[in-house]
Amino acid sequence: MEDQKFIYDNKTVKLFILATIVWGIVAILVGLIIAIQLAFPAVNFGLEFTTFGRVRPVHTNAVIFAFIGNAIFAGVYYSMQRLLKTRMFSDVLSAIHFWVWQLIIVLAAVTLLAGFTSGKEYAELEWPIDILIAITWVAFGANMIGTMIIRRVQHIYAAIWWYVATFVGVAILHIVNSFELPFSLLKSYPVFAGAQDAVVQWWYGHNAVAFFLTTPFLGLMYYYLPKAAERPIYSYKLSIIHFWSLIFLYMWAGPHHLLYQALPDWAQALGVTFSVMLIAPSWGGMINGLLTLRGAWDKVRDKAELKFLVVAVTAYGMSTFEGPMMSIKFVNQLTHFTDWTIAHVHIAGMAWNGGIVFGMLYWLVPKLFRTKLFSEKLANVHFWIATLGILIYAIPLYWSAVTQWLMLREYTKEGFLAYPNFLETFTQILPMYYFRIVGGSMFLIGFLLFVYNMFKTMAAGALIPQEESYAPALVELGARNPKAETIHRFLERKSVRFTIVSFIVLAIGGAVEIIPMTFVKSNIPTIETVTPYTPLELAGRDIYIAEGCYNCHSQMVRPFRWETDRYGEYSKIGEFVYDHPFQWGSRRTGPDLARAGVVGGAYYKNAAWHFNHFMDPQKMNEQSIMPKYPWLAAKDINTKIIPAKIRAMQKLGVPYPEGYDKVAVEDLKKQAQTIADDLKASGISADPNKQMIAMIAYLHKLGRDISAPVTADSAKAEVPKAEVKSLPTSTADIAAGKEIFARICAVCHGAEGKGLATFPDLTDDKWIHGNTPGDVVNTITNGYPVKGMLPYKSQLSEQQIQQVASFVLNGLKK
Amino acid sequence: MASNIEKNKTEADEHEIMEGHDYDGIGELDNPPPRWIMALFYITIGLSILYGAYYFWLDIGPNQDEVYAIKSERHDQNFASAKAPAAELKLLTDEAALSEGKAIYTEMACSACHGIVGEGNAVGPNLTDENWIHGCSFNNVYEIISNGIAVKGMTSFKDKLSPEKIAKVASYVLVSLKDTKPVNAKAPQGEPCK
Repeated sequence: MEDQKFIYDNKTVKLFILATIVWGIVAILVGLIIAIQLAFPAVNFGLEFTTFGRVRPVHTNAVIFAFIGNAIFAGVYYSMQRLLKTRMFSDVLSAIHFWVWQLIIVLAAVTLLAGFTSGKEYAELEWPIDILIAITWVAFGANMIGTMIIRRVQHIYAAIWWYVATFVGVAILHIVNSFELPFSLLKSYPVFAGAQDAVVQWWYGHNAVAFFLTTPFLGLMYYYLPKAAERPIYSYKLSIIHFWSLIFLYMWAGPHHLLYQALPDWAQALGVTFSVMLIAPSWGGMINGLLTLRGAWDKVRDKAELKFLVVAVTAYGMSTFEGPMMSIKFVNQLTHFTDWTIAHVHIAGMAWNGGIVFGMLYWLVPKLFRTKLFSEKLANVHFWIATLGILIYAIPLYWSAVTQWLMLREYTKEGFLAYPNFLETFTQILPMYYFRIVGGSMFLIGFLLFVYNMFKTMAAGALIPQEESYAPALVELGARNPKAETIHRFLERKSVRFTIVSFIVLAIGGAVEIIPMTFVKSNIPTIETVTPYTPLELAGRDIYIAEGCYNCHSQMVRPFRWETDRYGEYSKIGEFVYDHPFQWGSRRTGPDLARAGVVGGAYYKNAAWHFNHFMDPQKMNEQSIMPKYPWLAAKDINTKIIPAKIRAMQKLGVPYPEGYDKVAVEDLKKQAQTIADDLKASGISADPNKQMIAMIAYLHKLGRDISAPVTADSAKAEVPKAEVKSLPTSTADIAAGKEIFARICAVCHGAEGKGLATFPDLTDDKWIHGNTPGDVVNTITNGYPVKGMLPYKSQLSEQQIQQVASFVLNGLKK
Repeated sequence: MASNIEKNKTEADEHEIMEGHDYDGIGELDNPPPRWIMALFYITIGLSILYGAYYFWLDIGPNQDEVYAIKSERHDQNFASAKAPAAELKLLTDEAALSEGKAIYTEMACSACHGIVGEGNAVGPNLTDENWIHGCSFNNVYEIISNGIAVKGMTSFKDKLSPEKIAKVASYVLVSLKDTKPVNAKAPQGEPCK
């Protein structure tokens, strides 16, 4: 048969490679900056735009969608044309795909830093950008399917199965997780609330890992690994089995991000079991990759690209074993909310995704530019420095996770939390964050060597933007002969049918979880006392989201004694029914805030404390790494948008009375005034129009609805007075009291007892609640919750309380 | 790893590149998937079915709220015994308890202040005579050991000893040491026991 002439589009491939390199530098650099901020909070330069809560989503989005995304597209556009022996279906679609994707990245960076975020991890971008993403993704998919249709090859190779699953999977995920109701040009509320939103979000979040960081990379592995090693794929059968089982099972496993949380047991069980079942399908990919290298291991020794690919595939095997283990409920109580997850994702991201990208580009760029790699030696240096950097990054974080978990759950022999102050556990692990900076820096240095090597190689060679090639036309085989052709082999030559079957296989898992969560009422048991947010609280909540507070603070108390003793009652599904979006968080760099509004609870702080804390957290907790938020006291609450917010919430089913949007601002101002008055009574003059007031209102709402209301009267009535006539006064006791005072009391009363902000001076002659030993012991034991003094009877033993009281009365300098 | 690869290499010689499987120069072999990976797959599926059966279809396993309730109760029990009031413990007179009390007396170095056989020294009072500074009932002695008398230098032992052990050592003092009239006994302090 006569060969047809066609032209490969190498220009688009080159553009995607350049974008990969440029965004790679940005993404890793931003990551390094936030790693430094965690150890040294002053590195946010005191600007709202460069503060951790806003920059961290820039890092994650830049790594995933900019660096890794462009690398995927580069790899797909090159390999797909060669595997199908045709040019990409449409140059226009290719151009739209490339340029709009870069536009999205720029818009993402700008809006995230400006504080526009949906508050859902890895899906932070707001609705106009969501629409752009959808358009671009459809362009990519149409281009891919079109290319398959015009191909000159009978069967579709395994790499392309994975590309197809990537397109279909991400399309489903992105569309469903972006169901949101806009109420302004750049802001929207997600349609789902609370536990439903959590299920949808982590179905998305988990499968973004699957269909953006796993399936496309397996596709790339199936092309670039055998190409670079010049070996055939080990097992065709294994390709089939692990492809279908992986894409089917992955979609079910999302709830493993929500174990022990406010989610029905059945959904959690699906998360556990489907994650465990994923081990073998994931390892199928690793095995097929490693066994393909049989007979080529001598090449691995010499070639950096193969070394990267081997480390990538091995890291993939490790991570896909670790992931299912982390999904076992018992293990999850350690790995969730700690640095374990951070280490896990960085091994996967740096070694698996990074390894495939580096391996691919060290092979592809010289080929594309018809030259040799500028320096094989430099590539090997990159390999070793990156690998070492990954280890120095991850191992300390695993250590940190175990340390913090052990500290958080440790009890004294008397049954009290050994480290009642969350900050103690954080201070303990802080040194590990210095190692992370070292590891991250090494990875960045390696990356810069790679960039230099790439540009030198490109400069030495010459790209043929439009490369001629020849292949015979495709002759359709027609109907299946059941004897000679398996069903799968048949499907491989029916690209559209293949895509449709993938869609069905992919859609099942999500549907089985999301539909019952949304429509079956029994899954969301309601709690009568839970009320919608007042307009001021809602405004505060939106500021909380915009500042990215959820990046460090969870709002989810899990049902463990060491959490309920620390924070209060564990979280219930019905508490979150008005939360659009949910804010459960995923890493506790700071303490949980789910019970921040429970008056008398361990984490309740009064308005004055919050005011001072936002202005300067280190004044309240010397070792805190929370950034300062002075702009909250300077920026006005946007009241113009409040009616639109109320109307949007009403449309989503939040039961505000009809016409409430018209009086909402009035209500907001009234509530703001009471908080401002409260602050004034404490000697702080605050403008009721400022964001600070809304934040305080929101924090005081958290968990309040399910706690018994505490008033000055009820607090007094319940409490039996301690009868203590004398206090221990030995030097040992006073020293013990001093130690406890420094650890717990100094936060509000100052290290020398002079009192911070509005909290009373303990060294003067004026006493609000009396200064007899009995009075002081009573104040410490039962607290004055309405005023912000916590009860310590659940954190300190009687003896310890007496020691503190003794220190206050006898040890403080008058 | 190396041996596996060697083995698979010989296996691979039997399995040739499949006909028609040439994609831009990449061939595919018709090796079957390694048996162990398939076994692993079936095992994880089996475990998942068992998990589902245990927690849902047969409804044997406790749900999340029940687990919390059970563990929380166990937690309270564990520490309740650690914090049990002295009233529930009684003076022990059996040999085993008293000899264990003696062992604790030695182990916790009570002798440092109260002498090897309770005769007392410059620091602590005589434990063998009739006189007591802080009361001579079992409950008094238990409280003294448990909470200590901080101002006078008596350490609190409740962080170091379980209530049972405190009861045993208190019993040893009250039963075994009583009226032993050791040599070098310290002069009586406090009130005579009534």
